[in-house]
Amino acid sequence: MNKNNLDQKLRYNDGGNVHMDFHGATNTTIKFIIDKYGIDTMNDIFKKVGNNVYKNIKDHIKKGNIEMLAKHWQHFFDRENADYNISINDEEIILTVNRCTAYEHVRKLVGNVSPNFCDQTIKTNEALAEDTPYEIKTEILGEAACRQTIRKRA
Amino acid sequence: MIPSDHFTRFYNEVFKFLEDQGEEHLEAYWLEISKNQEKHTLELFKEKGLKGMYEYWDHIRIEENCDMDLKLDDEKLELRMNVCPSLSKVLDNDAEPMKRYCDHCAGWIGPLIDKVDHHLVYDVIDRNKPQCVVKIFKDKEKAIEEEKNAKLLMGWPKKKK
Repeated sequence: MNKNNLDQKLRYNDGGNVHMDFHGATNTTIKFIIDKYGIDTMNDIFKKVGNNVYKNIKDHIKKGNIEMLAKHWQHFFDRENADYNISINDEEIILTVNRCTAYEHVRKLVGNVSPNFCDQTIKTNEALAEDTPYEIKTEILGEAACRQTIRKRA
Repeated sequence: MIPSDHFTRFYNEVFKFLEDQGEEHLEAYWLEISKNQEKHTLELFKEKGLKGMYEYWDHIRIEENCDMDLKLDDEKLELRMNVCPSLSKVLDNDAEPMKRYCDHCAGWIGPLIDKVDHHLVYDVIDRNKPQCVVKIFKDKEKAIEEEKNAKLLMGWPKKKK
């Protein structure tokens, strides 16, 4: 694993203030789409996010540069002040989110978080890994906590 | 997690799907977002009127990193968006932007302003440029007069006549 890859620039490298209320709008959207069109439609939209919005990260993963995904995680979980850690070894990169501030913010805003809220992570990750030599496994460890692992497919 | 920084690119994917289903699907979603936004705004707008609206958009100006000028007087609130971060991100995107991305803004703000008996004039100017001018009037006749000056006037679901 080439840790120097972490110095490469992210395609979307946001700065400035963070508007956490957007997570509330994501929660509303997930509920709206699933209620009206079903879960498969919601998952298809997340798939498009993974394949198209994050095309650049996906291209890096295809080439074996999975450090760009770690860099993306680091940049945005830092911006959102989450409690997380990333471990990088020769086989895999593991992101452990102990306290997801997106989830917590929605809980604070609306009380009830959609049971499908974390599908945005699970399904976008699946799409990022699809047609690449890697898999991304997302395990929900409890409310506002998960582990995301990217490693070469067996 | 789709970072809050990338919400607008997710939003863009949702809009494209809904547009393919038909206009009424898109409008139903804007109304749902409007309802969601009521939680942050409705009481404030009802209680303080234009001043409450100024407070809300001044907060948004800072938190969403908008290059926006806000001007409040006794008759109206004027928001002049010089660089809209929302459309800017959608245009700076590896996914294709929805052609009518800007329409969602009037789509959720319009119904909310109708509810508090004020009058919105939303001039997008050009859907391909991240700038717009929004004016909210107390007086309906002044809003109707102002609509004549708009370059690209936006409507919204169930707009009050």
